[in-house]
Amino acid sequence: MKKALVTATLTDPHLWIPLVVLALGIALLAVLA
Amino acid sequence: MSSPARRSPSLSLHTLGVVSGLAAGAWLGSAEAPTKLVTIGFTPFLISLGMVLGVFVARWTVPVALKGTSYVWADLREKPHLIVWGIIAGMLWAVANTLTVFAIRNVGLSIAFPLWNVNSLVGVFWGWLLFNELRGSDGRQRLKVLGGAAAIMIGAYLLAYATTTHESPHAQPGGAALGILAALGAALLWGTMYIPYRKAYISGMNPLSFVTVFTFGELGTMFALAAVFDGGAAHVIASLNQAKPVLFWLFLGGFCWVLGDLFQQYAAKYIGISRGIPLSNTNQLWGLAWGALVFGELAHMTGSAQALVVGGSLIMIAGATAISLAEAPASEQREWQAAMERECLRYGLDRERVAAAMSGSESAGSARHSRRWWEILIVAGAVAIFIWLGVHAERQAIPLDPLWLVVLAAASLVLLVGGGILLWKRTRFG
Repeated sequence: MKKALVTATLTDPHLWIPLVVLALGIALLAVLA
Repeated sequence: MSSPARRSPSLSLHTLGVVSGLAAGAWLGSAEAPTKLVTIGFTPFLISLGMVLGVFVARWTVPVALKGTSYVWADLREKPHLIVWGIIAGMLWAVANTLTVFAIRNVGLSIAFPLWNVNSLVGVFWGWLLFNELRGSDGRQRLKVLGGAAAIMIGAYLLAYATTTHESPHAQPGGAALGILAALGAALLWGTMYIPYRKAYISGMNPLSFVTVFTFGELGTMFALAAVFDGGAAHVIASLNQAKPVLFWLFLGGFCWVLGDLFQQYAAKYIGISRGIPLSNTNQLWGLAWGALVFGELAHMTGSAQALVVGGSLIMIAGATAISLAEAPASEQREWQAAMERECLRYGLDRERVAAAMSGSESAGSARHSRRWWEILIVAGAVAIFIWLGVHAERQAIPLDPLWLVVLAAASLVLLVGGGILLWKRTRFG
């Protein structure tokens, strides 16, 4: 059950949108600092 | 869950969501008032961290007081995949908030604010693309929502322009492009933060459970950012100790902010992010009211600037009214259901229970969750922290208008109590 949930989460196409946006934000902070 | 028979189903979820969105605007705006008492001597990172510490205390205490630890725990165990989403949402908030500090530093608030206020349009876009919001509704309803969101943005721009045209000396013209990029980045991050919000609510999670997880991502990231950009963890802790005389005001601001954010979460749950987020973005009106009426910040404003403030406020109110009247028709509600069923299929959720939670009937199972003895300790601990900080607080020498202070505080309390009663009667804070 846990493995199925992890798989479902990692293969959820929606997950990558906030992760990519978060990475962009952190990269922007690194440039600004 | 208790006594479903006593609930008042006559109140539509749209009305409940609209009231929640407006109450969110009031309390998110009021959160600015205590922080105005913290004037000089501390870096923006430290002020932000102090507020987030207050947010952390309140975000644990309010859900425990309203629903209890057993309820929140059961809700999280039922949908453990949403813990990741809650933490990511908190991280997005913290990074976006820090970006706004840089944006204000580089281009000033009057340019930065309208740029990051685009977050509501980003939210509308994600709501449409990922969660079927505004699909199935006719052109008139879409026009009300999109026109209302645009009006709130234009009103915000006018208010920011009128109130901050004299702040340009702080701007750094050399870094203007980076400042604009930082403000747009904040808009993108905050607008994207609403994806986890909506994801949680179309999966049947209770907003109170979601914010309990959210706060870990928020505090952890904020502390890490303050440590990286503000001289290391030891320096941050030492600075917090030095800031003890003003921490009470920051914690109070954080507490008001949590109340506003909770209403925002309920608005996102019951009317979606495309309607709920623009409504809660009316917080700028409240922030302006506190600044102008209580702290007299606009006393020396010119006639044309005052006209811009009045015009901007009216446009914002018109936008909020348009969205309030744009109830999702049955055809759009079916599209929301389709998005919900997609989540149920992917994560193996019970479709009927999720549908019940979305309609405000049930959220963490039908079982009644007993209260635990330690819950009173958590609430008492939070109250003790506020009292301790209050004892050490220094009274700030800032003139304020006591009459307007009472009027605005009373108006905010009316929305808090009224919104709270409606949420309790209709959903039992579900």
